[in-house]
Amino acid sequence: MIKPLRKRHLQIWITLAVLLPIGIVSAWLVVPQPVKNHLLQPASSQALPTVLKGLAQRNPFIDIRCNADTSVLQLEWVSRTELTFPSALIYQVSDSSKGIIDGEIVGRVDMRGAYHFPLKKNPTTKDFHFIIYDIIHHKIIQRINF
Amino acid sequence: MSTSYSAVGWNRQKVKYDWLIFSFCVLYLTVFIGLTVIFIPDYTFETVLIRSTSTLAVLLLHIILSIGPLSRINKKFLPLLYNRRHLGVTMFTIGLVHGAFGILQFHSQGNVNPFVSLFTSNTHFGSLADFPFQVLGSFALVIFFLMAITSHDFWLHNLSPRIWKTLHMCVYLAYFLIIMHVMLGVIQYETNPVFVIILMIGAFTLITLHVYAGIKEAKIDNQKFNLQKEGFVMVCSVNDIEEDRAKMFCIDKERIAIFKTNGKLFAVNNVCKHQNGPLGEGKVIDGCITCPWHGYQYLPNNGQSPPPFKEKVSTYDVKIEMENVWLNPMAYAEGTERPGAVIEMRN
Repeated sequence: MIKPLRKRHLQIWITLAVLLPIGIVSAWLVVPQPVKNHLLQPASSQALPTVLKGLAQRNPFIDIRCNADTSVLQLEWVSRTELTFPSALIYQVSDSSKGIIDGEIVGRVDMRGAYHFPLKKNPTTKDFHFIIYDIIHHKIIQRINF
Repeated sequence: MSTSYSAVGWNRQKVKYDWLIFSFCVLYLTVFIGLTVIFIPDYTFETVLIRSTSTLAVLLLHIILSIGPLSRINKKFLPLLYNRRHLGVTMFTIGLVHGAFGILQFHSQGNVNPFVSLFTSNTHFGSLADFPFQVLGSFALVIFFLMAITSHDFWLHNLSPRIWKTLHMCVYLAYFLIIMHVMLGVIQYETNPVFVIILMIGAFTLITLHVYAGIKEAKIDNQKFNLQKEGFVMVCSVNDIEEDRAKMFCIDKERIAIFKTNGKLFAVNNVCKHQNGPLGEGKVIDGCITCPWHGYQYLPNNGQSPPPFKEKVSTYDVKIEMENVWLNPMAYAEGTERPGAVIEMRN
């Protein structure tokens, strides 16, 4: 090698000694973190011990459960077969004539399985009214009244 | 050494070298594919091939880039340097298989031309995390392709050493592109940190070797010679030079090699006409100065290659006074006969 070429080699490697660590560290820093197991809704809790109210229909099986002194309420939803809708929100409304605008979201069901959603106790009435709403097609699937 | 095309001049060493490279590649691919089939059986054949060839190509690239500085640090590595180009062409071929299967797997299933898809399917050039890393690998492969097809001496002579060397120094750019191709590609979704650690060790080793060898050479280049007389400078003692070997001195930006052979000292330009190899690191074989890189030979008394070859290097005047070697850095025309300096034997 001739002197200018030797000098150029050294200059190139000194440049690489700066650029390579910068490149490697920069790329390492933007490596996406592994996705954490965040559910879109609270993890399913255990069913409360007492059935307060139930429906005659078997699939999906829906009832209201509570603890011993009925201070804590729960909506139980058990689908034994595949759902016939892609995804649905469950709204709780104060009476059977209300729409989802007046309702409060209790939870979401998307697949076969057992769901347990906490319910707020309504001090004015012992009745429970729910709307199962298809959020993809924007239509009411079913009204459930206990 | 003519400019006409000639096939590879196979000799025993070249054949042995190539068989070694071939065996290593086959062994590596077999072990890699075998282990993947055992431990990750879900991988498709294409994926295994893409991964095995990519890791092998990166490994070979690191070996290739370390041979140069290793040879400058320790002459025992010189045999690796002789046929480094064979290793380079092998690395390109393996990289090409990787690229071809990558295009086949990721760009050939749509209705867009695979090569168009390669450059247009991802255009997030402004994002580091989503950067189109395949483009980096493609550019590196183009550089390796140009290097591979011009690797024969035919192109060295026709393109001129200056252009050829400039083209082949693009390997450093290709190396940077490859590192970023890996870092912005597989590393972005490969959770095992072993890959990054191996890559960092490789890059660190190469940088250290090259910078160390470069600084060592710069020290020789910047050596000062204070004693001057009638155009001659005192460079060393006669005993500092081994028989049939040389010592190199950089005077006025020019490296000159002084060889000791058959009771005489001869000075020639240090730069081989073939690929600018360092003649001073070679030795005298069969009465000829032999370049350590590719074995080109020159007669010590006139700097000419023995017939029928036509390469010539410059010669210089050298003399001995009181066992001190004096060198005149004024070069004679290439191939000029010089008498050399007779070494007086002391009883």
